[in-house]
Amino acid sequence: MSKVAETRGTGPGPVTAAAIEARSLYRFFRAGEEETLALRGVSVSVMPGEFVAVVGPSGSGKSTLLACLAGLDDPEGGRVLVEGQRMSHQPEPVRARLRARRIGVLSQSGNLFDHLTVEANLAVAQGLGGRSSRESRTALLGSVGLAERAGALPSRLSGGEAARAGLAVALANEPAVVLADEPTGELDSGTEATVLELLRAAAGRGVAVLVASHSPAVASAADRVMRLVDGQVTG
Amino acid sequence: MTAERINISGAKVTPTTTSDLDLVECVLVSRVFGHGPSAVPAVREVSVTVRPGMRVALSGPSGSGKSTLLHLMAGLVTPTSGAVRWPGLGGTPQGRPGVVGVVFQGPSLIPALNVIENVALSLLLGGVTQDEAAQRATSALDRLRIGELGRKLPEELSGGQAQRVAAARVLAGRPRLILADEPTGQLDHETGARVVSVLLDAADELDAALVVSTHDPEVARRLPRRWRMSDGRLTAGPTQENASTGTDRK
Amino acid sequence: MITTWIGGLLRRRAGRLVATALGVAIAVALLASLGAFLAASKGSMTARTVRGVAVDWQVQVQPGADPAAVLGTVRAAPRIRVAVPVGYAQVAGLTATGDGTTETTGPGVVLGLPTGYRADFPGEIRTLTGTDHGVLLAQQTAANLHAKPGDLVQIARAGLAPVQVQVQVDGVVDLPQANSLFQKVGAPPSSQPASPPDNVVLLPGSQWHVLFDPLAAARPDLVSTQIHVARTRALPADPGAAYTSVNAAAHNLEARNAGSAVVGDNLGAALDAARSDAAYAQVLFLFLGLPGAVLAGLLAGAVTAAGAVRRRQEQALLRTRGATSRQLLGLAAVEAGLVGVTGAMLGLGVATLVGRLAFGSVSFGTSAATAVAWIAAAALVGLVIAAASVLLPAYHDLHTATVATARQTVGRRRGPWWARYGVDVILIAGGAVVVWAASGNGYQLVLAPEGVASISVSYWAFAGPALLWVGAGLLAWRLAELLLSRGRRLVGWGLRPLAGELSGTAAAMLARRRRPLARSIVLLALALAFAASTATFNATYRAQAEVDAQLTNGADVTVAEPPGTTVGPAAAAPIAAVPGVRAVAPIQHRFAYIGPDLQDLYGVRPATITNATSLQDSYFQGGSARALMDQLAAHPESILVSAETVHDYQLHPGDLLNLRLQDSRTGQLTTVPFHYIGIVNEFPTAPKDSFFVANASYIAQQTGNNAIGAFLVDTGGQNTAAVAHRIQTLVGTSATVTDIAHTRSTIGSSLTAVDLAGLTRVELAFALVLAAAAGGLVLVLGLTERRRTFAITTALGATGKQLRGLVAAETATLAIGGVVVGAAIGWALSEVLVAVLTGVFDPPPDALTVPWPYMAAVTVTVIAALSIATVTAVLLARRSPISILREL
Repeated sequence: MSKVAETRGTGPGPVTAAAIEARSLYRFFRAGEEETLALRGVSVSVMPGEFVAVVGPSGSGKSTLLACLAGLDDPEGGRVLVEGQRMSHQPEPVRARLRARRIGVLSQSGNLFDHLTVEANLAVAQGLGGRSSRESRTALLGSVGLAERAGALPSRLSGGEAARAGLAVALANEPAVVLADEPTGELDSGTEATVLELLRAAAGRGVAVLVASHSPAVASAADRVMRLVDGQVTG
Repeated sequence: MTAERINISGAKVTPTTTSDLDLVECVLVSRVFGHGPSAVPAVREVSVTVRPGMRVALSGPSGSGKSTLLHLMAGLVTPTSGAVRWPGLGGTPQGRPGVVGVVFQGPSLIPALNVIENVALSLLLGGVTQDEAAQRATSALDRLRIGELGRKLPEELSGGQAQRVAAARVLAGRPRLILADEPTGQLDHETGARVVSVLLDAADELDAALVVSTHDPEVARRLPRRWRMSDGRLTAGPTQENASTGTDRK
Repeated sequence: MITTWIGGLLRRRAGRLVATALGVAIAVALLASLGAFLAASKGSMTARTVRGVAVDWQVQVQPGADPAAVLGTVRAAPRIRVAVPVGYAQVAGLTATGDGTTETTGPGVVLGLPTGYRADFPGEIRTLTGTDHGVLLAQQTAANLHAKPGDLVQIARAGLAPVQVQVQVDGVVDLPQANSLFQKVGAPPSSQPASPPDNVVLLPGSQWHVLFDPLAAARPDLVSTQIHVARTRALPADPGAAYTSVNAAAHNLEARNAGSAVVGDNLGAALDAARSDAAYAQVLFLFLGLPGAVLAGLLAGAVTAAGAVRRRQEQALLRTRGATSRQLLGLAAVEAGLVGVTGAMLGLGVATLVGRLAFGSVSFGTSAATAVAWIAAAALVGLVIAAASVLLPAYHDLHTATVATARQTVGRRRGPWWARYGVDVILIAGGAVVVWAASGNGYQLVLAPEGVASISVSYWAFAGPALLWVGAGLLAWRLAELLLSRGRRLVGWGLRPLAGELSGTAAAMLARRRRPLARSIVLLALALAFAASTATFNATYRAQAEVDAQLTNGADVTVAEPPGTTVGPAAAAPIAAVPGVRAVAPIQHRFAYIGPDLQDLYGVRPATITNATSLQDSYFQGGSARALMDQLAAHPESILVSAETVHDYQLHPGDLLNLRLQDSRTGQLTTVPFHYIGIVNEFPTAPKDSFFVANASYIAQQTGNNAIGAFLVDTGGQNTAAVAHRIQTLVGTSATVTDIAHTRSTIGSSLTAVDLAGLTRVELAFALVLAAAAGGLVLVLGLTERRRTFAITTALGATGKQLRGLVAAETATLAIGGVVVGAAIGWALSEVLVAVLTGVFDPPPDALTVPWPYMAAVTVTVIAALSIATVTAVLLARRSPISILREL
C-alpha cells in the first residue's frame, strides 16, 4: 500500500521501485492535414508483481501507450522509465537492449514467426536477449502447457495454443515487465481464463504485468484497473 | 406440397406449406480434417435443422467445431459422413451465390475492390447484371446506414465497419439463411453489439433465418435460441427444441 | 540465433530464397558465359589469324646490304622457325607464242624461290594446273599470255643485252596473298600500289640466280632479296598481346640489323586487324548481353518485392523482441550472402557448362589472370544483385516503415517519384541525343591508331542504348499504370470476352493493383525486348555478312575473264549447266573516258542481274536499287555515276553525259551519249575508285562489242568451293574463278572475323529463359493477395468458369501488355543498336532482318509460362477456400 502511495507522487522523491513507469506522456499523430492527440499527459506506473489492466474503448490510446512503454514509439512529451532507466528519447540500440532483456511484449496476434517452430521462436527471442538456454526453454514451454508442441509450426496451433506460445515468448528472457495488448481478444472464455491465470502466475513471480484490453475478465483478474478515454486517464 | 417428416429424435414434424420447408438439415454429419494419426475430427455426428425465421446463437469454446458446422451448412465444405440437405433452398447452395449469406470470421473483403464493388461482387457471381448489382449494393449499404463508406477500400475501414460491410454484402444477396461465424470476434463490445444489431435487422428485413456462432455470452443472449457445441458434438441443441415451432421473429 | 533463423527460412521460405538465387544465377551465368565466349573467340581469332598468314615476315634486304649476313641474323633471332631468301626481279615484259599467235605483256616480276619453299609456306601458292614445282605462271599471267603448261615464255630483262631467255612453263598457280607478297616493304600503308603485278613468274631459286644475277650486277635497282620468315606458333591467346609481342620482335630484328633490313610484318598487320576484331567482339557483348544480366537482376528484385509485406512484418516483430537495427541488417546480410553465394556458384556452374557446349572452351579468359578476373567480376555482380534485392529493402524499411504501414498493400498512392519529374522522358531524350551525337562520328566505336600498341573503345556510345532501355522501361511503366487507372473502362470493355459480367470487377481489381501489375508488364516487356533486339541484331548481322562478302566477291562464284577477251554472253550457258549453279548474270567490264579521266565502266542487264547477286539500296543514291535498275532497263541510255564524278562535273539528274568508249569495229574511241540518273557508291566486282554502271545491251550496241568482263554465279550459298572448282575445270586457265567462301576467309574486315554463332545461341537461349521466367514470375508476384481474393470469391460461390475468367483477365492484360510493349521497345532498340553499331556493318543494312520463327518461339514460350501459372493459380484457388481463409 505505501509503495503505491509513493509512486503516485509527482515530484522527484526517493528512487522509485516501479518496474515500468510513464510520466506525463504526450503523443500525437499527423495524417496529412489532421492531427490527432493520442495521449494527453498519461502517467502510469506498475510495480514488480503488480497486474494492471488498462481498459477503454477502441481508439482511446491503449495501443499507443503500450508502444511508448515498450520503446517502440517515442512520445513527444513526458518520459518512460524501465526499472529506473530512461527508455524514451534514448538511441535505438539502448531501447532495443532494454526491450530485449527487460520487457516482454504480447500482442493480440502475430506473436510468432511463422517460419519457425515454437521452440525456435523462443530461441530467437532468447538470442536477441543475449542468452540461450535449452533447459529454460523446455521449462517455459512446460509452464504454459505446450511441452508437446515445442516442434510445431505456428500455423498448426489452435487459438489458445498460439496465445500461450506468445506468452512463453514474451517471458523467454525472464523480463521485469510484460506488456500485453488485447491478448485475449480472439479467445473464448475458457482459454482466456487460462491465459489470465498464466499472467497472474507471472505476476506472482515478481513480473510487472500491464494488460490493455476491453475484456471484463481481464479487468477482474487485475490488481488495479486504469481507465483510458480519449488519451486521458480517467480512473 | 406437404410432406411428413421425421426429425432425428423421432418426433414427427409436419410442415404446412412449402415456405415452411426446412432451410438446411444436417443428419449425423461429421467432418474430419487430415488423415491417419493426426486427423482432427472437427464435427462429430451432429444433427441440426434450421427452419425459416429461426434466430440461433451457436456457442462453445474455440476448437469446438462451430465454424466447421457453419461451413457445412453453407455448403462450403462437404461432410465426411452423414448428409446435409437444403430442402427449402432448392438444393445445395454451392455455385448459387446469394442463396445462403455467410459472414466470415476474419476480414473477408477483397483488398483490391472498394466497398461497393465488394458488395456487388457476390451479386455479379450470381449472374446479376453490372448495373443492377451496383444499384442493389448501394441500397444495401444505405439500408445499413453505411452508405458513405461506398468508395473506401477495405484497408481504410475499421474492424467494425468491415464487418458491417460484410453484412451489407449478405443483405444485398437477399438470402433466406444467414450464417455468421464469430462476427464480433475481433471487435470491442460496443462495436460488436452494433454489428449484431445490423445482422438482426438484416434478418428481419429479409425474413431470413440467422445462425450466429460466438463465444461472447452478451451476443448469445440477444438471440432466442442457443445451441452449444463442445469437442465437435452438439451438447445443447435442437433436440431440446423439437417441440417448438414457429418463428423467432420479434 | 542466426542459424536458427536461417534454418527456419530455408525450411519454410525456400521458395523465395531459391527464386532470388535463380535470378542471381541467371545474371552470373550470362556474364560468365560471355566471358567464356570472349576467351574462346579471342583465342580462335588469334589462331585463325595466324593460320591465315602465309608468310609471317618478309624481311627486305636493303640496297647495299649483304643478303647472307641478314639471313644469318634473322636465323639467329628468337622464335624463328624458317627463314629463306627469295629473289625479286623486275622484268620489262613477257612473251609467249602459241597456236599461231604471239602475246606480249607489260612489265612484270619474276621471283626466285628456294627449294622447299612450298612446304615451308603452303599458303602462299596454290596450284591450278600442271606440276607443283618448276616454272610457274600466275593465273592472270597465263591468261594474258594464253599460255599453258608446256608452252615457252620469253622474259625480257631490261638493261641487259637483248639476250632472250626462255623458260618452259610447268604449272599455273594462284597467289592468294599476292598483295603482301608484292608489298613495298617499309613503305607506309597509304602509299602501297593499288594491286599486285599481273605478270608474275615463279622460278626455282637456282634458275633465277642464273638469269638474274647478271641483272643484279648491271641494274641493282631492279633486283632485290627478301628473307621470308615463318615464326614459331607459340603466341599469347589474346590478339592484342600477340600483336604486341610480334610487333616488338619485328622492331627488335630491325634494330639488330642496324638498317640493313626492314621487316614487312604480315603477321603483325593481321594481328592488328584481329585485335580490332576482338574489341568489336567485346563491344557486341556489352551491347547485347548486359541488358540480359540487368534484367535477371530485376527479376531477382521482383521476387523480393513479392515478399515485402512479410519481410516488414518479420522485421517489426523482431524489433518488438528487442532486435537492434544492426542485428536486423545482420540477418538480412546473412540471407543476402546465402542467396548471393548460392546463386553465384550455380551461375558459374551453368556458365562452365555453356562454355563447354557452345564455345568448346572451359576457360573464362585468355590467360589465367583474365579468367580469374572475369569470374570474380561475374560473382561480384551476383553478390551485388543479392545485396540489392535483400539488403537494400531491409535497410529502406528500417528507416521508413512503422508497424502500421507494414500492413498497407493496396491503395491510393501517388505516382512513383520518377514520374513526377518526367525522368522517363528525360532519359529517352538523353539517349536519343547520345545516339545522334555518336552518329556524327560515323559511329566509330573502336579506334586503333596506326602502330599504337593499345586500342581504345568508345564506351561513351553505350550510353545511348542504355538510357533508352531505362527510359523506355519507365515510360512503359507510366503508360501501363495510366491505362489501368484512367483507362479502366476501356480495359473492362476489352475483358468482356473473358470475364463476362465480371469484367468491371476485374478491371477494378487491376486498377487497384496497377503498381505491381505495371511493374510486371514492364519486366515481361523488357525480357521480350531483350530477346527481340538480340535476335534481330544477330539476324541482321548475319545477313549483312553475306552481303559484304557478296559485294567483295561479286556473287557466290565469280568468273572473271581477262581484259581484252571476246567471250560473249553465250558463254553463260555452259556455266549455267554446271551442277550447283542456280543463275548466271554477265557483267561487261570496259573502260570509258570522261573528259581526261579513264574510269571503269560496267554494263549490266538490269532486269536479271539480281538473279545472281544482291544489290542493296545503300549502294546507290537517288533511288532504291530496284528503282534505278528499272530506269536502266526502261531508258537504256541511262548511266549511274560515282559521287566524286557528280561533284567534279557538276551533274544533275537527266544531264547528258558523253563518254568515249572503244569501238571494236573501228578500234578507235567513239563518243557514246548517256543520261545521268543517279549515284552508285558500290557495286559487285567494282573497285573503290570512281566507276560507271550502265545498260549492257546499249553499250554492246554502241560499241559493237558484247564481250563479257565477268559472270556472276549464284549457287544459293551452298558448296561454293565445289561449284567454283567445277567451273574452273570448265573454263580452264582462260578465266579466273573465285568463290565467296575463299573471299570470306581472306578479307580482313571485322564483319566476318567475329564468329557470333556460339554467342548468338547462348544469348538467345538466355533471352528465352528470361522471358519464360518473367512470364511465370509475374503471376507469382502478389500471390498471397491473389490467393486470398480467390479464396473469398470461391467462398462467395464463384464457379470455376467465373474464377478462370478473373484469372484470365489478369493474365491476358499481362500478356497483351507485355507483348505489345515488348515488341515496340524491341523494335526501337533494334533500330538503335543497328545504327550505333553501324561500324560493324559494312555496308550498313537497308532494313532489319527479323527472325520471325525465333520471335514466335519466344512469344509462345511466354504465353505458355503465363498460362501454366494461370492454371496453377486457379487450381490452388479451387482447393478448400476455408483452410486458406483460416490461414490468412
